[in-house]
Amino acid sequence: MKIEEKLYTLRYKRDEIPHLEIKDQMTCKKCEETYGTPQPCISVCPANVYSWINGKIVVSYENCVECGACKIACPFNNIIWKYPRYGLGIALRYG
Amino acid sequence: MKFDVIVIGAGPAGSAASLLASKAGLKVLTIERGPEPGSKNVSGAMIRVSEIAKVFDTSNLPAEREVKKIKLMLSSKNGDVSVEASPLTKLVTVSRLKFDKFLWQQAENNKALLIPKTTALGIEKDSSSYKVITDRGEIEGDKIVLAEGVNSLLSMKLGLRPELSPESTVQAIKEVYSLNKEEVSKRLNLSSDDGLAWRVISNSPVPYAGFLYTYKDSISVGVGIPMQELIERKIRPYEILDEFEKKFGITELVKGSSLREYSAKIIPEDGFPKWRACKEGIYAVGDSIGLVNPLVFNGIGPAIISGSIAGTAVTESWSCQKYVSELYNSREIKEIAKLRPIESEMLGKGYLSVYDDMITNLIESWISGDLSEVSQYKSQFPSMIKHLLMLWGSMI
Repeated sequence: MKIEEKLYTLRYKRDEIPHLEIKDQMTCKKCEETYGTPQPCISVCPANVYSWINGKIVVSYENCVECGACKIACPFNNIIWKYPRYGLGIALRYG
Repeated sequence: MKFDVIVIGAGPAGSAASLLASKAGLKVLTIERGPEPGSKNVSGAMIRVSEIAKVFDTSNLPAEREVKKIKLMLSSKNGDVSVEASPLTKLVTVSRLKFDKFLWQQAENNKALLIPKTTALGIEKDSSSYKVITDRGEIEGDKIVLAEGVNSLLSMKLGLRPELSPESTVQAIKEVYSLNKEEVSKRLNLSSDDGLAWRVISNSPVPYAGFLYTYKDSISVGVGIPMQELIERKIRPYEILDEFEKKFGITELVKGSSLREYSAKIIPEDGFPKWRACKEGIYAVGDSIGLVNPLVFNGIGPAIISGSIAGTAVTESWSCQKYVSELYNSREIKEIAKLRPIESEMLGKGYLSVYDDMITNLIESWISGDLSEVSQYKSQFPSMIKHLLMLWGSMI
């Protein structure tokens, strides 16, 4: 089963304001030069939030399962990581 | 309106602190970022009832199944070794949403107040009290309990703890497959309501720990992988989960069932006593200070114990020194603190994988009647003795 299909099992209320952001795309470029692809944030993410497209990191924050791995994995501390506001984001049933 | 205590997070640690403080007559406000307690929490979810009972009334505990059998498996390229045992203490599996709500309810019964769907963004000190800034406004309180979980952004902002590093973090992912009750028992060869748990240590394709738990009408499976391994080998966590499910027959086991939930959590392998647990009337508990026992895979028990200690600390206005020493005096937390050195050796230097290889190889050779393999591990003996002594030291 593809990861995107697995993510369909989650109850999710999207916050219109992204809770994940990249500070500086140039740093991602540097990261790609140093670490190759997939970059650390892409490797650790269980929900395919990050992808490397045309020399840029694209963030699909809607898929985020709020585990916090990416902010730790980023060697340049280049991810602004927040919780979705007002209890939005995922709501688990089993946990 | 001013509160005596503001508890940030309504997980097991936050609910324990809220319960103790409200029982003592304090005016408690607990804020929770999820829509309800437990909705943002993930764990393997096997608990030791005796630990929960130290703080909460467990008479109506919403248990899924009582774990009567634990299967431990070691797997390496040399082969697989498995051992089955019956637990000596009462272990049950719980579904977090039900369990966390059950714990919170007891705090609420003692008049603790919950505001869900609210995230704490900052803490400011007024002359004599604290102001907690949330995404819905500000609240004032005399004391604070930080029960934020592993991504404790406020504790980091306050300088109590640093950010985790890939070397000290495990990435865990989990799936829950639903089947009817009879089918769960039948497929896992269990008599009626009994539960089963698997613990797997494997080092292929990367070192990881796998688990399987039985709920009433579902099976949960998952893996925990050292984050550094994922980064270095450029492997995704779900690829390891797929490998685990294929290799141990889980794919077959859950055939025809439907996937009900996919979730993830990072596990801190660092924390108290290296991290500070306290700062002038602010007390941190549970996952916020890394209270997970890696040896027995227990996070909920230590969270509850630390939460109850913080509940007393806010009631009796303990100094930080007193709070830290009381944390350290509890058996459950002292054990975690003492396990830290061996934990970082096993995780950071990859000894887990070495020993997994060695044990499976030695057992396979032994049952095949050939012990010549032993000499191959001679060079590992000094480190093994060191680690055994470290382990011993953390137990006494």
